Amino acid sequence: MKPEQPIEQYESVAAWAKGLREQWGGDPLAEEPEKLEALSAFCEFDGRDPDELLAFCFLRRKETGVRFVSVKRREALALQVRAFREASGLSGTEARRLTSNLLSFFIHNGIQMNAGTI
Amino acid sequence: MEYKEVIGIRRSIRYFDPDRPVEADKIQKILESMRVASCAVNAHWLRAVVVKRSEIPQSTLDSLKTPVTALVQELAPVHIYCYLDTGTVKQVEGKRLRELVDVGALNPSHGWSHKFVDELVYPQILVPFSEDPAYPVAAAFDCGGAGTQGLLTAVDEGLGVCWTAFNAEPAKEMMDIPDDWLPLYVMNVGYPLESREAGGQRPRPPFEELYFDGKVGRPFPRDPKVVAELEQEKMFTTPAPLPGRKQEVRDLSRKLGLPE
Repeated sequence: MKPEQPIEQYESVAAWAKGLREQWGGDPLAEEPEKLEALSAFCEFDGRDPDELLAFCFLRRKETGVRFVSVKRREALALQVRAFREASGLSGTEARRLTSNLLSFFIHNGIQMNAGTI
Repeated sequence: MEYKEVIGIRRSIRYFDPDRPVEADKIQKILESMRVASCAVNAHWLRAVVVKRSEIPQSTLDSLKTPVTALVQELAPVHIYCYLDTGTVKQVEGKRLRELVDVGALNPSHGWSHKFVDELVYPQILVPFSEDPAYPVAAAFDCGGAGTQGLLTAVDEGLGVCWTAFNAEPAKEMMDIPDDWLPLYVMNVGYPLESREAGGQRPRPPFEELYFDGKVGRPFPRDPKVVAELEQEKMFTTPAPLPGRKQEVRDLSRKLGLPE
């Protein structure tokens, strides 16, 4: 991540915050700091910032330029999330919560990440 | 439950109690209700394999999941994998039609006889039909009807159910599926963690867009009195979303450790 840029200022994080507000009301990102903490820790683990993570999931069709979600890249990211969870040393409910907070970031940015696959 | 109420309260349940087993007799009732479904030429193409999720090795279970349906498969304690046995017509060679003649379901009044079945229906209609590209589509229609009877029986037994897709290759290997069975869907079965209403009756396209009177484009008349009667009989329940549904979903997500 860019050290000078607070995580809330990334476009993908703003989209996450908006999605959560629309889904649940209130401001879940502000009210539940563990969500952003999970994303920050994952970015540190992975070495990419939130926008880069999101951009990684998309490719463009050569013929039309239309953007689409790459299944292989999404799967690669899911494996990375699993590796992050294992590296965290957490287990049970805490591990699930960590994973779910990350998945929520991707889901509200339009990347279908099913908890049953992680 | 009354028949119409069963229809009215059925939901595709996506939050199951993963640890509550389903009684074998309830699974049997689901299968029994599939067996007595209406079916063209009495062929009965539907085959089902019941698997307890807890008995599937995790790596196999993961391989059965699709990206969209994974969580439902992970949570449901019982999976009923449904297949279409394309070989059944040639295996039974008209025997089941002859049975219908014997029991008085197919009668001379409608042109039926053993000779008609043996010399015309089987060799000249069913055999060529079973080799036609449209055959699996027609047979799948009947499988869907039988599956739906099973689905509604499950609801009547107090269970939650949800059809999903599954990955056919690992399923074939896991269950020794014959080559001529076509994979359909898996019925995920378990006790719902959701409320019975599960947020209310889900939106459907308008009646007038789906059903016609004599000609396409002329909607079948929808009598409000009939609608009111069906509401009374609980085939129509409160439309989704019910108040509190979001909170229910959030509580379920937190209970199960799922994304919000």
